[in-house]
Formats: sequence, structure tokens, C-alpha cells
Amino acid sequence: MKVPRPYALLAEITYRCPLHCPYCSNPVNLEGRAPATPTETGSQELAPPSNVELTTEEWKRIIREAAALGVLQIGFSGGEPLARRDLVELIRAAREANLYTNLITSGIGLDDDRLRALRDAGLDSIQLSFQSDESSLADEIAGARAHDRKLDVAANIRAAGIPLSLNFVIHRANIDRLSQMIDLAEALGAGRVELANVQFYGWAFRNRAALLPTREQVDRARAIATTAKARLADKIDIFYVLPDYYETRPKPCLNGWGRRYLTVNPIGDVLPCPTASSAIPDLRLENVRTRDLGWIWQESESFNRFRGTEWMPEPCRSCPQKEIDFGGCRCQAALLTGNATNTDPVCEFSPNRAVVDAVLREVNLSGNNARDWMYRVNPPSLAI
Amino acid sequence: MPATTISDLARPSLAKGVRLEIDSTTRKSVLLYPEGIVELNETAHEILSRCDGRTLSEIICELAEEYEADSNALAADVRDTLSDLQRRKLIEFK
Repeated sequence: MKVPRPYALLAEITYRCPLHCPYCSNPVNLEGRAPATPTETGSQELAPPSNVELTTEEWKRIIREAAALGVLQIGFSGGEPLARRDLVELIRAAREANLYTNLITSGIGLDDDRLRALRDAGLDSIQLSFQSDESSLADEIAGARAHDRKLDVAANIRAAGIPLSLNFVIHRANIDRLSQMIDLAEALGAGRVELANVQFYGWAFRNRAALLPTREQVDRARAIATTAKARLADKIDIFYVLPDYYETRPKPCLNGWGRRYLTVNPIGDVLPCPTASSAIPDLRLENVRTRDLGWIWQESESFNRFRGTEWMPEPCRSCPQKEIDFGGCRCQAALLTGNATNTDPVCEFSPNRAVVDAVLREVNLSGNNARDWMYRVNPPSLAI
Repeated sequence: MPATTISDLARPSLAKGVRLEIDSTTRKSVLLYPEGIVELNETAHEILSRCDGRTLSEIICELAEEYEADSNALAADVRDTLSDLQRRKLIEFK
């Protein structure tokens, strides 16, 4: 099979974050993985400890290698990417490689000087996260006083002339305020807003019972999003990401494994999907400290494991949708069925759909009462 | 807006946050914007590479001359392309 070229790199430059959102998709336990694969050259011994964040020079090399592979867009994410002091330098390196540069941020730590420096380095666009439309609920979700600062940051981004997107993760505790969140995006002059129902990986998977909305909530929200999309069509691009447990067909995860996207995490592991490191523990990850990005994209076992359609079991193998949804999400299959090769159990044809239905039944029987969640904590061992 | 309502004097430009680049893999022009990539056909490329402050009628004249094409037929193509890109918020008019 001819290996396609990648279009976008997600650079998760740190897992450190000042917020503690319970829906974070970052891995819950970074120490839980098997050690990185030793190489035949023995260079493993010379490499820095595998739990140390990549250096500035290492990231610059990754950016150059990604551009050479065909990548056109880079998203700087995390954790909170502003926690890295070299962010401006990395943005500049990305622009020098002609990449379109997105910053995906909580905004905490984005003062005026830094904002100007980022703009002057060539930053193309900022996606600013919000937890809700007003501070009491938003700060409760973030586990930090952040909302009012974000409002200031949004205004400053607009004043600096950088295109602004607002990102909301939608879940049981804020879904009833969807309409007000859209109003906030409009008031802040965002050109784009993502209203993404929480997907259950990392911390979100652990907190699923507290985060999954009820069917009634989901139906109401869908109607609100549809109406707002039409009303604001000339003004804001609204992307409403469906809560996939309530769907009957799976999402076309990544538009196919190893087909368009790659992610490099803070310690240099290269992932076909940002959540694969925790969801698929037996996936043998390669690291940029021991391999170049081109080899990893084209040759590695991890990128080829679910590439194309050959790996598919039934019912995917004979399904006319297989080039459309690619069998859904490998991480979700792994988390819910214990086997990443299975059809995403969200699919109505999956023999494991009952697993999803059982979760939905429990949530809908108990109603939308608040339930405790566990806040995300920072990984203790990650030093720069 | 419908294609025919774009004024001859309108000055199309890339919308804020949109970049015109050459994709080094395919050697084709692409528009890059937040979370999106559009590959341009030759017509769109020829139009967009002239969206630098020139008016619509100037762009049409230039293209008609360069391709020795009938400027009325070409004007319709240019307007269609631009209104499609405007609908997708990739260009704006000044």
C-alpha cells in the first residue's frame, strides 16, 4: 500500500497545565507505559531519560522533518503550551518551515508582551479554550480561577489582530448553557467556535459517569447548535461535535489511522492519535530521539497497524461505510472492548454495542444530577 | 452574496487568518486556515495570486489578456470562484 503524506502535526509540547479540567484527554498515568523501544544502535543509552520534555532544538528538528514529509499545518497544544518558555522560538521555526501555525491554549500566561511576540513570530491563529460562559461554573470546571482572565485574553487577541477561535468542551455540567456559550463567542468576536461534546479518553474516560450528558440534554443541545449555525452563518463558523455514544455510526476518527495526522507528545513519542498512548497500551511507540519522523510515519508498526482497511475484522471488512468512517476510533475500541482492532462499539453493527448502551442506560436512569469528578493533576515526574 | 452582485470595483483579498501557499508535495496552491486546507484549481490560483489590492475588473482584464480569453465569459468564472470562496469565508471584499 502506498503510504499517504501527512497534512497536520499536533505538537503536544508539554503536559504541564494550570487548569485541572476533568475532561482532559491527556493520559492519566504517564508512568504506566512500557519503556521506549531500544534501538539496534544502542543510542538509547545516550538519549536523555524518556520522561524529560523534548528540548527546543529537538522540536525544531521535528518541525523541519514534518514539513519535509508534507505537513502543512501545526497545532501547538499540551497541556498548556504557554508553559514552555521557548514557545515563541518554536512558532518562528514553524513559520520558517512555511507551516500554518495554530496555538491551542487556555490563555493563562498570555500577557500582552507574549502575545505581541507570538504575533511577530508569525502565529496564524489562536484557539482559546473556555469552560462555560460565566465564571462561577467555568472556574468550577477548570478547578482554577481562570474565566475572567480568559475574557481579557480574548479581547487582547482580537486587538492584536490574530484570528480567534473559541473551543468549548461540552459535557453534562455545561451542556444546558450551550446557547449562552455561543453568545459569548459572538460577543468576543470569534470567527470560529468549536462546541465539542466530550470524547471519553484520558481523564474524561475516568470521569465518564460525571460528564456524560443525558439523552434529553443532547437532543436539546443539538437543536440549539443547528439553529445557531443557521443564524450566525455569515458571522461565525460553528462546529458542533456530536456526542458519539448517542450516535449509531462511529466518527471517522482521524479520517483514517496514519492517513493525515500525527502527534508528537512532550517526551517525543510519535502517535497516530493523541490518545493512543494511554488507550492502546500494547502499541509499540517510536520516539523522535531514536528515529526520524519520516521513518516513523512510513515504516513503523504503530503507524501501519490500522492503516488502510486490511486490518479490519467483520462487520467493518464487508461494510460499505469502511472508507467513510474507517471503523471508527481505535482508542475507543480498545477502551470499551479491550481490543483496539474491534469495530468501534458505538457502531450499531458492532457486536459490542451493548457496552455503550449499558453506559447510556445508567446515565439516563439516574438523570442529570451532579456527580463528583476527579480533577486532572499534573504529571509529577515531567521536568523540562 | 450571489456572484453577479460583486461590484467591478470590489477589491478581493484573503480573509484574515488565511494564507496562500504552495504545497511542496503536490506543487499545487493551497489555502491554509484554522483547521483547514483547500487545494486550489488553476483558475482559483490565478485569481487569488492577484488578490493584492487590485479591483475585480482589473483582475478580469489581466486574466483575459494573459489567456487570450473572452472577458465576459471569464468574468462569470471569476465571479463564481470568488463568491464561492467568500461564502466559505476564505476571502473578503474591500
